Amino acid sequence: MIKKAKPKVKIDKKAALALEVEIAGLELRNPVMTASGTFGYGSEFAPYTDLEKLGAIIVKGLSLKPRHGNPSPRIVETPCGMLNAIGLQNVGVEAFIKNKLLFLRKLKTPVIANIFGETVDDYRELALRLEDAGGVAALEINISCPNVKKGGIAFGTDPVEAHKVVSAVTSAVRLPVITKLSPNVTDIRVMVRAVQDAGTNAITLINTIPGLVVDVEKRRPMLANVIGGLSGPAIRPIAVRMVWEAKSVAKVPLIGSGGIISANDALEFILAWATAVQVGTANFLDPDAAVKVAVGIAGYCKRHNAAVKSLVGGMKARE
Amino acid sequence: MQSSQAAILHNKKVVDDYFRMRLSWSGMEVRPGQFIMLRVSDGLDPLLRRPFGIYNVIGAKKTTGFSFKRPTGVEILYRVVGKGTAILSSKEPGERINVLGPLGNGWVEPEEARNVIMVAGGVGLAPMLPLAQRLKAGALLFGARHKADTKIVAGFSGLGCKIKIATDDGSRGFKGFVTGLLAKEIKPDSVIYACGPAPMLKAVAVIALASGARCFVSLERTMACGIGVCLGCAVKTGAHKAGYEADGFSMVCSDGPVFDSTDIDWDAL
Repeated sequence: MIKKAKPKVKIDKKAALALEVEIAGLELRNPVMTASGTFGYGSEFAPYTDLEKLGAIIVKGLSLKPRHGNPSPRIVETPCGMLNAIGLQNVGVEAFIKNKLLFLRKLKTPVIANIFGETVDDYRELALRLEDAGGVAALEINISCPNVKKGGIAFGTDPVEAHKVVSAVTSAVRLPVITKLSPNVTDIRVMVRAVQDAGTNAITLINTIPGLVVDVEKRRPMLANVIGGLSGPAIRPIAVRMVWEAKSVAKVPLIGSGGIISANDALEFILAWATAVQVGTANFLDPDAAVKVAVGIAGYCKRHNAAVKSLVGGMKARE
Repeated sequence: MQSSQAAILHNKKVVDDYFRMRLSWSGMEVRPGQFIMLRVSDGLDPLLRRPFGIYNVIGAKKTTGFSFKRPTGVEILYRVVGKGTAILSSKEPGERINVLGPLGNGWVEPEEARNVIMVAGGVGLAPMLPLAQRLKAGALLFGARHKADTKIVAGFSGLGCKIKIATDDGSRGFKGFVTGLLAKEIKPDSVIYACGPAPMLKAVAVIALASGARCFVSLERTMACGIGVCLGCAVKTGAHKAGYEADGFSMVCSDGPVFDSTDIDWDAL
């Protein structure tokens, strides 16, 4: 049995209203989501945090068949961050629907399924399976994982391929579709336009940044996969910058992700045009981190007598 | 399982780079072989928590069971090996530190305590103490670099287990690896509990397999979350046991840290 953590903090009614945002047609009680791959299937965090104080839960990336993931070592700590090459290990969409969704459906928090395929058809099939299953509020298309050989980032760095994947999903299902983009491109605006034209309802920026850490004594890469994805506070300024750049062409809402530890970090993204945010690596440091970010944003809204909606894009660039 | 601020009750050097830290504990039940994760700094570097085997359980109610009920404190035994443990060693009593735990499944209770052989290398000694406290029998084989390091074994005296020591330089006990001692002690009905460096564990697993003894190992891997979600601490595990996926990975934090030694793909470790 999964014990629920007792809510430690209260957000009063007026403050609660100030936190509401809308993303891809979803009404979220607050702008804080959990980033895919950092929050398991939600239930793992139930003993430590109040899942119903989150804006949305994005589950670990799902593929059609279960994936074993990459050889070990898979993670290494870096200055103010970490490098990972998990390789999208997951239970597969059928086991997710059968074993994990029951718990998630009972929550009053929207559940967003992150999907990953090796082919365009994989993505379409995953989307259809999840829509049929019910209980999933939206899909997040992962075209940006740097740690797998097929699919993933191959779709995320080519605007034509990205358009194909996103179109395949948006034309197949009625569920709202979010597309998670890779920072590993020369001009993010090209990718934003491509997935927007393909009908995505929102865009998440950014996935991890490819990196490499070397063990100098052994003269070997620290990760078995050699390259991994860098996450954590070290990448936050890059992520905020990319949200800001994306906004110059984006017509759909943006979801900021990358190194958010505190409410202050989240507010940087919001002021730079993110409508919502995702907390990722911070969930590993503190399983209650995402809720603390939401509570902190509520405090900011109260102090500034402002609603989150009114803060989006509130950063004034110097003349 | 919980994440909370604990008070540091003491933090003392045992010998050389070995330290013991005692933390206040809420009373949550602890099983021998479980671990905790500490946030050594509130800052961003080092960023990740560090895992530590629970070395000592304080103030538990006397029970006949295997686990420790309502303890008021836990202790870790750690060696300063990097930035995180260096920061930890500088903490003063009275400071607070964020603790996540108890985590993992802990040791499997043996049927016969007297058949137990605990094999520990270096700081791998830590998760053996709660086990020895519960068993009050069996043998502890401890491998260390040199005589000075063997000071950390003092906590085991008077617990009813036979202690044998091996040192790399022969300055105390048997000269050579602890596995040299194990080869002499092991019997087909022995139950081995081992924790230490990966090459030691692999050697222990080989000896156990050859003698037909049951063998449990407690593994250490770099971890980020400690609760089975980051999937960072994966080890390759065999396909032959129910619950394991064919050629799949198990997580040291949530599936372990204790594994049956025959479940581990030692060549991939």
